[in-house]
Amino acid sequence: MIALDFTNVWASYRGKPAVQDFSLHLKPGERLVLLGPSGCGKTTVLRLAAGFLAPDRGTVILDDKTAAIDGRLVLEPEQRGLGMVFQDFALWPHLSVHDHLAFGLKARGVEKAERERRIAETLRLVRLDSKVGARPGELSGGQQQRVALARALVTEPNLLLMDEPLSSLDFELGLELRREILALQERLGFTLLYVTHNLDEAFAMAQRIVVMREGAIASMGSMQEIKASMQSLLMSAE
Amino acid sequence: MFAKPATLTLTALLFLGIGLAPLMALLVLSLNIDGAFGLDRFQHLWSSPKPWQLFGHSLLLAGLASLIVIVLGVPLGILFGKTTLRLRAPLLVLFTLPLLIPPYFLSLGWFSLLGREGWLVRLFPAAETVAKNLADLLFGLPGCVLTLSTVFLPLIILVTAMLLQTVNPRMEEAARLYASWRRVLFYITLPAIFPGIAFMTLLVFMLTLGEVTVPLTLRYDAYPTEILTQFAAFYDFDSATATASPLALLAFLMLMTEWYGRRWVMPDLRPSEASLMIQPGLSVKFMMIMAAGLALVMVLLPLGALGLYATLDDFSEAWTRGYDALLRSLFYAAVGASLLTVTGFFLGLLWRERTCCSGITQFTALLLLILPGTVLGIGLIRLWNTPETNWIYASPGILIIGYVIQYAALPSAVLHAVLTRLPPSLEQAAALAGARWWRRLLSIVLPLSRRGLLLAWLVSYLFCLRDTGLAMLVYPPGEDTLPVRIYTLMANSRFGLVAALCTLLMIAALLPLATIKLFRKRKESP
Repeated sequence: MIALDFTNVWASYRGKPAVQDFSLHLKPGERLVLLGPSGCGKTTVLRLAAGFLAPDRGTVILDDKTAAIDGRLVLEPEQRGLGMVFQDFALWPHLSVHDHLAFGLKARGVEKAERERRIAETLRLVRLDSKVGARPGELSGGQQQRVALARALVTEPNLLLMDEPLSSLDFELGLELRREILALQERLGFTLLYVTHNLDEAFAMAQRIVVMREGAIASMGSMQEIKASMQSLLMSAE
Repeated sequence: MFAKPATLTLTALLFLGIGLAPLMALLVLSLNIDGAFGLDRFQHLWSSPKPWQLFGHSLLLAGLASLIVIVLGVPLGILFGKTTLRLRAPLLVLFTLPLLIPPYFLSLGWFSLLGREGWLVRLFPAAETVAKNLADLLFGLPGCVLTLSTVFLPLIILVTAMLLQTVNPRMEEAARLYASWRRVLFYITLPAIFPGIAFMTLLVFMLTLGEVTVPLTLRYDAYPTEILTQFAAFYDFDSATATASPLALLAFLMLMTEWYGRRWVMPDLRPSEASLMIQPGLSVKFMMIMAAGLALVMVLLPLGALGLYATLDDFSEAWTRGYDALLRSLFYAAVGASLLTVTGFFLGLLWRERTCCSGITQFTALLLLILPGTVLGIGLIRLWNTPETNWIYASPGILIIGYVIQYAALPSAVLHAVLTRLPPSLEQAAALAGARWWRRLLSIVLPLSRRGLLLAWLVSYLFCLRDTGLAMLVYPPGEDTLPVRIYTLMANSRFGLVAALCTLLMIAALLPLATIKLFRKRKESP
């Protein structure tokens, strides 16, 4: 079973090469972190997975189905059944918390009673049940982040993409939400592809880390393996 | 230290003074009965059924035209702003063309097609009855609605397309994970830009309501024509003033509702990061073909028919009889546009500051823009037609003042958007280097805004050149502009001559656009 698979993917963004010969395999329920500096292609990988971008060459497979191949999107974003949390949360300012969660469920034709049950349950899960009628402008940064997370989770995706979701929050809040995301992932069992440029965050969130540089994979492994390779790099530099 | 507040306050005071004075004159004189306050003129005016009927006609016309504009304009704006098909650029130019010329040219275009000696009868003599029936439709409400919706359609198209560039693409991506483009546009994108579209619809409604030349050309009794009749036919200044005042009041009330209802006025046209585009599928291509058909029927057909109606002899005669008015039009438009650009630059700077002065001037500029040209014209006449100010009133200066106060909102909005996008750090760095405000303005802000200044000048030039409603009332004797000259020649000249004069003005309007395009092409080529 494949949750997400990239095979020899090449992609460009605004006419510049962004990802080069990128291959990656994610197992169901795995937590993988893409780590690297700004502009290394991490977000492009997420956009390829979400279907916002078609690879120039190569194949993207989702849940054993071909999602994109050689410049062509086989599955549109709404057909991929995944969730995503954006760096700036991308909340819709004119919709309430309830309507944020209802949007995806309605689009997928979920019955009203079932929809309301899932919305209530998800809001309880992220501790936002008291803010059901609030709009994004009335919420704190942490609450906004929870809405973004709840919106992504309410459709029960197998794969959750997170693009630097904690970078706009303060340190304390970031730590708290990190713990909450990990707890939710263990409880719900979704596959997590998490993008960050923060080393601590990567070590805290990952079962496996992929370090990216200039659109390609520089190294890949468990937290211990990455730490070891970094130490050897530092020692050789000295 | 005081240069900035002093300059911006002076700008605000000057603009408010010169802009609001004609409206004040209108209000005061319409309420002044032999030196005492009185509502007699209004009572007299509204006691007869005619103004009510005319007002109803105008509201119906404005309502129908605005409805058509919004129904067609928003999907077309989405098509041009959110897709990447090649055809969109030429189509956008074609749709924008009617906005750049006097509105009644389109009516004349339809007339050249459907009139007794129009193209339809010329090419298909058997279709005379059909042409007659269509011409009957043209002369009346349907013709006015068709013409005015074509004229103001580009406003909604352009603003929708521009506003779409300001929507955070992440918001749309978040929605695309669950829903098709159609659903995303309907539930996420359009609500995000709704205030801008609503404002522009209000603008279209008011501009249609105040338009005078199209109803006059197509013989549809509308309220603004009554102002002109009172003024030009009966020389009854007091009745013209009383007739103009309700339109000024309506413009004020509508803008107030918008201002306080939404606490939002000028569309914020700062583009966000690269906008998310719709991939051209079959439905997009189909819509583009439909748009091409619409542009062909609504714009190319009437304007092409008008242009082709004139013979070489007509052009020769048109030049002889109209070159002085054409040159004057170009000169007045250029002077007006230059003054408007300067005004727009300083108002743009003021609006960037977001002080109470900026709010008041923004409101006033918009009010003056949506005010019918005839209403503003009457106000200007009542204010400036005095022995002391006759040196201005009897000169083209009155027309230039009219242009500047009526159209100040346009270059100011363009330059406000440009100035807001300049990173404040650029001016802060210059300040730390010791440059005073004027120096920072001249050596940092001005050079970095040059494209915006050019655009502001161009927009102002085109609006001054096409102006008819205001110029009709305030042009000094023997100093008429070409749109006014054509309008007066229409009644008793050959249609070929009128068509030739219209074509000359269309060329004059497109000339600077073509020059800039050519210049940019040369610059881009290695």
